[in-house]
Amino acid sequence: MLIIDAGKCSGCRRCETHCSFYHSGKTGYHGARIKVEKIELIGLDFPVVCHQCKEHYCTRCPQKAISITARGSIEVSPTLCDLCGVCEKLCPVGAIEIYNDIPHVCDLCGGEPRCVSACEMEAIRYEPLVSRQVSLSSVKKKTAGLTPAEKRHERALQEADILRKSWFKDRSA
Amino acid sequence: MLHGYGGHILRVDLSSGQIRREKPDPDYLLEVIGGRGLNSRRLFDELDRDIDPLSEENMLLIGVGPVTGSLFSTSAYMTISGKSPLTGILGDSAAGGFFGAEIKYAGYDQLVFTGRSEKLCYVFICDDRVEIRDAGHLAGKDIFQTTAAIRTELNDNNLQIAAIGPAGENLVRYSIVACNNSRVCGRTGMGCLFGTKNLKAVVVKGTGMVSTADPLKFMKLCTVVDKRIMAHPEFKDRHDMGSTLLMKALNNLGILPVNHFQKGMAPYVDKISGQTLAAGYKVKNKGCYNCNINCSRYYVTPEVESEGPEYETLCSFSSRIGNDNLEFALKMNHYLNRMGLDSLSTGETIGWAMECVEKGIFTRDDFDGLDFTWGNIETVGRVLDLIVNQRGIGVEFGKGTRHLAETMGRGSEKYALHVKGLDVICGDPRGIKAFGLTYAIASRGADHLRAEPFFELTNRFEEAEKRFGTRDAADRLADNGKAQLVEFTERQALLTDCLTMCKNVGLSMDVLDFELAAELLQAGTGLKFTEDAVNKSLRATITNDRLMNIDFGVTSADDTLPHRFTHEPLMEGASKNQVVPVRDMVRDYYRLKEWDENGVPKKK
Repeated sequence: MLIIDAGKCSGCRRCETHCSFYHSGKTGYHGARIKVEKIELIGLDFPVVCHQCKEHYCTRCPQKAISITARGSIEVSPTLCDLCGVCEKLCPVGAIEIYNDIPHVCDLCGGEPRCVSACEMEAIRYEPLVSRQVSLSSVKKKTAGLTPAEKRHERALQEADILRKSWFKDRSA
Repeated sequence: MLHGYGGHILRVDLSSGQIRREKPDPDYLLEVIGGRGLNSRRLFDELDRDIDPLSEENMLLIGVGPVTGSLFSTSAYMTISGKSPLTGILGDSAAGGFFGAEIKYAGYDQLVFTGRSEKLCYVFICDDRVEIRDAGHLAGKDIFQTTAAIRTELNDNNLQIAAIGPAGENLVRYSIVACNNSRVCGRTGMGCLFGTKNLKAVVVKGTGMVSTADPLKFMKLCTVVDKRIMAHPEFKDRHDMGSTLLMKALNNLGILPVNHFQKGMAPYVDKISGQTLAAGYKVKNKGCYNCNINCSRYYVTPEVESEGPEYETLCSFSSRIGNDNLEFALKMNHYLNRMGLDSLSTGETIGWAMECVEKGIFTRDDFDGLDFTWGNIETVGRVLDLIVNQRGIGVEFGKGTRHLAETMGRGSEKYALHVKGLDVICGDPRGIKAFGLTYAIASRGADHLRAEPFFELTNRFEEAEKRFGTRDAADRLADNGKAQLVEFTERQALLTDCLTMCKNVGLSMDVLDFELAAELLQAGTGLKFTEDAVNKSLRATITNDRLMNIDFGVTSADDTLPHRFTHEPLMEGASKNQVVPVRDMVRDYYRLKEWDENGVPKKK
């Protein structure tokens, strides 16, 4: 899975551009499968991407269009998907979202995630052997009914307290 | 199909509410490239030269380029242009951040605002949906509050917002436009231009993507530039400190503005340096769109937290006004960005006042009882409040140093450090001669960014011989070869503004050459950009800018420097005894450009 260090992220969104370009030859926020949530007033930048959660909520797709690969990443079948949007609703963190008539979600770029190599801040780490470690059940309740963008905002906010405590602790030391 | 470009020009007439989308012709794009080139051409073709810059006849342009928002590193910039409310000549200012990329995602290359809204408004652009919305409830709100309020109102945290603060609404001539709070179009009063149009903010959301004609080739060229950036000898310092590394670097060269350029070294530099800032207050790096240097910083102090500051702000509010209190400068960075004032022009009015009081030209009584002694931070805080709210002496201060000195007189004009009405940046040209020439001839006034001839600081003597025919071009104290250097970097600077990429990278780090840029443009757009075509375009824009400025009243007498830099040698440090022989340098520059002795381009 991809592991994010909020303390290192500069918010440059380079992960997005390289993700988007690798998958489509184009760049754009909506074409990226990793999306940086930026909350300027508290200095927070946090890339939200599929956690490969324990629950695998998105696989409860009514069309059975979503499956899990050997690497643990999510795979969407474009032939089975009927764009019903249930996966978007199910994901607690907004990591899967329909754009240009297909759900966009991290596929780990076939084992060489471009966001990891693009990030000069070393804020994104790829652990190939780690999957299904994170439970999102508590987040799920909090973000039910929100749009994917709102869920990403909530997910980012979760990082804020820990991060900001570390800043002020460092200052007083 | 047109690649790279957004593909549309958006015209919004704020008087009538009329909104129009146009498709630019590919041949036209070949002539202007994009960004600042595109804006300059629009002004050249459409702006009535005689108008009052504060009137509704003025135009407000926001331009981006063919690689803005692409895979190309640091392609984050956008340029705002118009007739400057501060100087009355060509005005423009660029900023990084994420606003430029979003304009492209929304499918535009340029936003053109004309007229004046009857009531305070903001313009919301979501792809091809464009709305002029009431902003009455945002009146008087600072930039941070405005940005937050609009995001809440439209229920979208990812909106890109370029906004003005109270200073812009109150028509302070050097007020700023800030994108998402911290990336600032600071110079030449583009915030005031927003204010004259009753435009509080431009809000953009784009759901499209930036395509390229030849993605594989484009990616390879991006990788070439990435490698040049990462391998650059300045990479680490720029990453750690950003432009604030200049505090110590310029002090070492004896050209750090101290007490309004009376000295070039500050004995207390270690208290206010980029190193001290990074070690004591920085909590993490920040970056503009798709940057691999991430030179910006987030800092926390006991009083404030914010992004920045850049060198010009740090110096303007520390050594330039005789202040050694770093935390105060950091607090001011936060304040200026919220209220919407340009740190350079604001700092110059304060520095000028302090020097005038020191010289006995004025006393407290001339300044509403405020005590303008060096480093008096209480006075600084109070005068800023007067400027933002346009009260008391703040009214005249808010019109810029040139106006202020001309109004108050008594010989104080000699100490107003500006060229063509634009205040001098924080680099003493006496120890960097090509910068001196740049300030003198730059088409928006005393600014380094029109040519940033950083090359003269790099000691690359062999490269200097190759490019400019003399080793002197790489010697900062020599005046020989500097016209050639400036003519070259002026094109390089315009190229970065047209693309649009970061000048620290394209220019100061010298990672972009014309040949590579032409290849990049071809791969990106599919249009026939050759090295010759690119240079032709850049030369034409520079000539047009000059012709436009001549129409605005600029003459060769304006292509000069304040008396201090030409007649008062520095007294100590590594640039001791130096002045700038500006007249000879300007003459060389005219000759090289084939302009006549009055600085007028010859008719072809």
